[in-house]
Amino acid sequence: MIRRETIASASRSSAVLAVIAVLLVGLFCVVVILELGYSGPRPIDVDRWIRVAEEAGATNVVSSIYLGARLFDTILEVLVFAVATLGVRFYLGTRGYKEVVQSIPESNVVRVGAAVLLPPVLLLGIYVVAYGHLSPGGGFAGGVIAASGLLLAAIALGTERINARLRPAVLHGFEWGVLLAILTLATLPAPLSMPLLSDPLPSGRMGSLVSGGSIPLYNAMIGVKVFLSSWVIAKHFVDHRGEI
Amino acid sequence: MIARLVLLALLPVTAGLALLQRRRLYAIIGMALFSLLLASVFFLSHAPDVAITEAAVGAALVTFIYVLAIRRTGKLTVVANEVPGLFERSGNQLQGLEWEILDRLARRLGLDLAVRFVPLEEVEGSLLQGNADVGAGGLILDGCHRRLLRTPDYLPTARFSIMGPAAAETGDESEGAEGMPLRGYLSDIVDDVQAGRSVTIRLDLARFHALSRYGLEGYRVVRHDGEWGYAMAVAPERRDLHRQLGALLKQLRETGELQQMTRENLP
Amino acid sequence: MGAFHGVTIAIVLFGIGVLGLVIRKDLVIKLLALGLTNSATILCLVSLDSRTPGAAPILVPGVEAIVDPLPQAIVLSAIVINFAILALALVFVMLLVERYHTTDSARIERETNAEEETWS
Repeated sequence: MIRRETIASASRSSAVLAVIAVLLVGLFCVVVILELGYSGPRPIDVDRWIRVAEEAGATNVVSSIYLGARLFDTILEVLVFAVATLGVRFYLGTRGYKEVVQSIPESNVVRVGAAVLLPPVLLLGIYVVAYGHLSPGGGFAGGVIAASGLLLAAIALGTERINARLRPAVLHGFEWGVLLAILTLATLPAPLSMPLLSDPLPSGRMGSLVSGGSIPLYNAMIGVKVFLSSWVIAKHFVDHRGEI
Repeated sequence: MIARLVLLALLPVTAGLALLQRRRLYAIIGMALFSLLLASVFFLSHAPDVAITEAAVGAALVTFIYVLAIRRTGKLTVVANEVPGLFERSGNQLQGLEWEILDRLARRLGLDLAVRFVPLEEVEGSLLQGNADVGAGGLILDGCHRRLLRTPDYLPTARFSIMGPAAAETGDESEGAEGMPLRGYLSDIVDDVQAGRSVTIRLDLARFHALSRYGLEGYRVVRHDGEWGYAMAVAPERRDLHRQLGALLKQLRETGELQQMTRENLP
Repeated sequence: MGAFHGVTIAIVLFGIGVLGLVIRKDLVIKLLALGLTNSATILCLVSLDSRTPGAAPILVPGVEAIVDPLPQAIVLSAIVINFAILALALVFVMLLVERYHTTDSARIERETNAEEETWS
């Protein structure tokens, strides 16, 4: 367990201060929450969201919120994600260890297992993205699932083989191209004299795959973006051997 | 819902245990478990979107990233104090008896050797913190930390105390006077001796040999009674390494190669 | 009812995270504690909306009352963005370790202070 070497002796007093501060903050939070007497959302609030979702034609109410009413926040968060990926690529690409890690040839079980597992995982990711407006999931979750499948294949089969298929230059173009597409779709209604960030596409039958206006489009684009960016981050971590 | 409350109560326990671990790998695995528990709590709180996302991100990707960051792919990290004859730098290369032994070990295990030179008193600390696997550099480990794994002695040695010119002039007759143990690097002591400064130091045989080449007239030299041996220290988590190093030393001694290497490196 | 438990556990987790950040010297574990703080915030927000006796916010035919979907929408993208920020922070930790050859934050502080003194 914890040993004396792992606790800095100089920060004993600051550790005590931190404990006291955290306790005070916690007390404050509890008091505030109890004071508010927040007994629950008025039923009319929740009905409003249900109406929004039915209007958009999406069954998943949450996705109709963050891709419909609050699209602005989602777009900016995707931008933050892209910038973080850029940071990782810059710092690890130019300042990390220059040695390339020799990929250890794995045993047959691992290699064949990863090759067999990769398509179902990618399919699961595509499913979660495609049905994001109908059942839980959406662009973020689906993109992350697909990226972890690809990472599994990269660890087992070596990053050279994956790099041969997904060339870094093409990846770069796709990443920022998808971001541009998201922004275009969001600002598209403006020239057509519709309010900004609204739904330009018609919403079909509720509960079917083709419904929900532009929400499935956003899901797909965000899924692709998250997938590519997570893969780029993970690839840099695999390639640059750290000294930790 | 009982399940949700039980899981909620388990959350701080898991998190606390995970953050109190000593090895980084255990802490990361503990946080992956915490992530999974959190995803279950989200699911039971009627938030399936959040549950799927948290399970995919927290348990899979974050754990991946951390483990990739802290893995040491096939490197044998040695932390050493520079000693001529045992472990020294000459130009771009390393040479010395200990280096040859460790190089053999690394080749046998298929790892590559990464050496870091540190002051003598930091060798034990580095090993205990897990920053290195093996500690070398003319160590006499009879008083070392009890958690460090110590190889059997591979070379007998002796201890000398050297006291600076000032002490010799005052005619200090105390036979039991002992110098301070070496701190820092041997090259600092060499500079002191060359400049004729006062030195009170306790050294082992190899360092004493190296120092005596710079002329110790005017310094009082006392040889201590007793038998010591050079050994190497292994970090507490690497029992496998300890076993293999011990086996290698035994094999070298039995085939006589150890004697031959000693003759070559320490004339 | 369920909210209160969730929120208190979230506050406790936040406290554990901050404590871990201050007490442990190892840089990687400090980052893990920061991630724990993130998760505690998300838990607080999600458990604030599980108050109404409702079902998950998916409009399956037959569902009448759903829980408040707004905090979930806020939190969803935050989880993925946290991952990206954490990766960036880990990159900085890796670069630091390469420079100073140790993950001990106290030692890195000492060496940085020593360097600053030699510059000024």
